[in-house]
Amino acid sequence: MTGAVFRAGATSRDIGATTRAKALVAFAFVAAIGIAWSVASDRVPPYILPSPRDVARAAAAFFTTGRQLAHLGSTLAHIGASIAISFVLGALLALAAHYASWSAPAIHRRLSPFLNAFSGIGWTLLAVIWFGVSSATVVFTISVVLLPFALINLREGLETQDRELAEMGRSFGRDGWRNFAAIVAPALLPFAAATLRIMFGVAWKVALTAELFGGSRGLGYMINIARQDYDTATIFTVILFIIVAVYLADRLLFAPLERHTSRHFGRAAR
Amino acid sequence: MNPLKRSGATWLADGVTLGALVVWWLAARSLPEFVLPGPVAVAERLAALFIDPDFLVHTLASTVRVLISVLLALAIGSMLALIQRAWPALDWVLRGGVQPFLNSFPSIGWAILAAIWFTPGHGSIIFVEVAILIPFCMINVGEGLRQIDRESLEMATSFTRRRIRIAWLVGLPLLAPWLLGALRISYGVAWKIALVAELLGSTSGLGYLMLRAQGSADMTTVIAACFAIIALFVAGERLLLDPLARRFAAR
Repeated sequence: MTGAVFRAGATSRDIGATTRAKALVAFAFVAAIGIAWSVASDRVPPYILPSPRDVARAAAAFFTTGRQLAHLGSTLAHIGASIAISFVLGALLALAAHYASWSAPAIHRRLSPFLNAFSGIGWTLLAVIWFGVSSATVVFTISVVLLPFALINLREGLETQDRELAEMGRSFGRDGWRNFAAIVAPALLPFAAATLRIMFGVAWKVALTAELFGGSRGLGYMINIARQDYDTATIFTVILFIIVAVYLADRLLFAPLERHTSRHFGRAAR
Repeated sequence: MNPLKRSGATWLADGVTLGALVVWWLAARSLPEFVLPGPVAVAERLAALFIDPDFLVHTLASTVRVLISVLLALAIGSMLALIQRAWPALDWVLRGGVQPFLNSFPSIGWAILAAIWFTPGHGSIIFVEVAILIPFCMINVGEGLRQIDRESLEMATSFTRRRIRIAWLVGLPLLAPWLLGALRISYGVAWKIALVAELLGSTSGLGYLMLRAQGSADMTTVIAACFAIIALFVAGERLLLDPLARRFAAR
């Protein structure tokens, strides 16, 4: 295997794997998983491995029950609010460190590493004591975990600003706000898009844990109830739904957004 | 930036840190211990986590499991990336299927499934941590394999036909920065996120200790465990990852 990987000039033949071969292998793989799943689920009790049919039934119930959809709505609200809060806070801190350079070490060398090294579970458990079992706990936990991602990424964006362009802007006008709106903000957009994309992926991972231990609603809360009832089919449904939702949102929303902003406002566009 | 101004800003950073400690100390004096214990009590408990055998068991259990999981995840993730590269027909399955599947899988989902499937113990926790870390390693090593300099490989082929030798002498050094990147990311994620594995069906580890302490309103231990995680995270970066990075960057 290593031989094939490190064989020089293998490129031309690598591409030789046609789309049809790839599709065939992918289809065989999915079929094999499906068969293995249904055979395995026949041999063990459903609370260990529910059959595909059980999961389909649970999924149908999930999407037609108002209460379940309300949990989904709560999780989306938690994630949306947290992304907004941590993005704004992260942007404010990054801008403060950039424009008021005396605050940079305090922000980048003290606050950012501290937040970056703090464990997500730690925040969850602390928040439960401080705010009780509530949406505030969930939003606080997700926001504080996301904050370093926003801060570090936007800092990167500010530091790669084109200095010559900024100088040219200053030679045209001294109005700082106008320069910021016309030059700095557009150049930051690709970084903002990339930041949002990363934050969305991480937010889901943290949200479920926070809801499970500190929430009174949301998908995390729901799988906790399902876990206590040994309702593994519902757990499977939620997990599969999240995988599909995160994947589709990334592919259909965040990846195009990132591509669009970097094409129009990134370095390559100039 | 002149040195004087720089040191002024650094002083300010230290001042802010000190100020935060003072505010914490003042706030803790007027709040009950189960809401916010003082910095001194937390510092004492933090020391106990590394000295007192009753606590040290948990600290060591988490550390050993994190190290094992990171190495296993790196091995499996690299293997998957190599397989994908060696057999391009598997591209859709691995890069289009397995990788996004693992990457979007909620971490608490693994913890719950492991609690249902396995008897609690080191094995089930390591399973969860490895499952959470694999996509990070796979993405990074896969990216490294794509970026690898083909001309160097071509030149190496003109010197020798032995592919193992090429892989070892040329491929591996070229890949080293990406392997290190994968190690760094997964080490961080292991401490920050994968510790959820210890919250369900575990009887040891810092995650278990924190959950138990929270259940008995022992805030001091919860906060001390958080700081212990920060300390272990930073120690691993400074003592293991940074020296490795320096060694391989020198080539």
